[in-house]
Amino acid sequence: MTGTRDPHQDGSIHAMLSDSGLECAAELRSALEQLRAVVPDAAPTPRADLAALLAAGAAAPASATTTALPAVESAKDAADESLPTGITSLAERRGRKRRLAIVGGAVVGAMTLGAGAVAASSEDFRLSVNQSVDAIFQPEGDATQAPEPVQPSPASIPVFPAPAATSPAGTPGAAPSSNARTGAGSDGDEDSDKKAGRKPRTTPPAVGRNGILPTPGQRPGMPAPALPGYGNNGNGDGNGDDNEDLPRVPGRITPTLPGVVPTKAPVHP
Amino acid sequence: MAQQLSDDELSAALAGDPSGFSAVYTVMSPAVLGYFRARGVDDAEALTQDVFVDILPKLAGVSGGHTGLRTFIFSVAHARLVDYRRRAERTPHLAEYDPLNDARYSASAEDEALGSLGGISDTLARLNEEQREVLVLRIVADLSIEQVAGIMDKTPGAIKQLQRRGLSALRELVTEKDHAAS
Repeated sequence: MTGTRDPHQDGSIHAMLSDSGLECAAELRSALEQLRAVVPDAAPTPRADLAALLAAGAAAPASATTTALPAVESAKDAADESLPTGITSLAERRGRKRRLAIVGGAVVGAMTLGAGAVAASSEDFRLSVNQSVDAIFQPEGDATQAPEPVQPSPASIPVFPAPAATSPAGTPGAAPSSNARTGAGSDGDEDSDKKAGRKPRTTPPAVGRNGILPTPGQRPGMPAPALPGYGNNGNGDGNGDDNEDLPRVPGRITPTLPGVVPTKAPVHP
Repeated sequence: MAQQLSDDELSAALAGDPSGFSAVYTVMSPAVLGYFRARGVDDAEALTQDVFVDILPKLAGVSGGHTGLRTFIFSVAHARLVDYRRRAERTPHLAEYDPLNDARYSASAEDEALGSLGGISDTLARLNEEQREVLVLRIVADLSIEQVAGIMDKTPGAIKQLQRRGLSALRELVTEKDHAAS
């Protein structure tokens, strides 16, 4: 505990103190000597693996090293050397995962680019996309008739007669005009009835649209674009055009008509 | 520390010959053990033996004679100490009930008179981590400024600075303690 076991050590402490300009600090010197006294005199007795290493001497250095080192060396070599059976390298799996992610990202990116190129080159594609977008966003009010707005005129037909029926009741002034037109249309329909039984049904709704459209401002967005095309066909060319349209008309209109016709029939007389 | 390696033993050890291992262990292990004890490691002996299990087979690559051997051993010991500290940070600190740590307990006169080791390690524990490391390596491990700089991966100037500040801090702590005791 005195700390002065070796004059050489004492000298080193002294040199250290004078290095730092503290050579006259006696209490510091004694503290450093205490610190040096921490070093024990004898080596600790080695434990089993170290003793084997030390006792190896010249006899069995190889076996000693193999017993002492495996823990360290196997850990270090595991990454790059061939692995023992039953152990797989984490690094490889990580690399595989990363590769999968990269390939997946590349595929998705390429598909996006391809779809963009198709959209840029073909108009049909853009139109169909527009239509489908319209179909998705337009029918907010009538979700049940969602498919109809895509085929413009027939879709609007069932919608309008209902207001036509209401308008005569609510506004008498508007009713006669619509009735007169429907009457004219019905005459044409009778002619067409002779050609095709379902014809009258197509025309009255078309005329009815013309009469109604100005009065109710209720559905500006949907019917307005649909009307001009169909109204012209129905009014100007009359029966001929309607005959051409016949094949697709009946399917859609027949179910709607029963609702339409009875309402108008009582109005006419 | 009083013992020195003979040249034959040293050259045998540095040649990788296991016959020199025992001499290296006998001469160097007390200093390594003292180093770990001064740094407050719980099981200093186990760590010391870990260090020697690690270094003895690798002595063949060491150059620089006595100095080189000492530097090599203490760089491994330093690395082991850093590992130990990190491990200790992650594991919860478990302590048995120690009456000496009980605040309601007043220190005995014997402890105050004889507490040389406990006293200096307590004082050291109040120093900066790097200052403590420099002082312990310089005094316990008996290394030069340049060797300490190599082990701690700093410039010799930085080590000198740390040593100077550590010594002045230690001096203040020691005089303060003396005043408190007297």
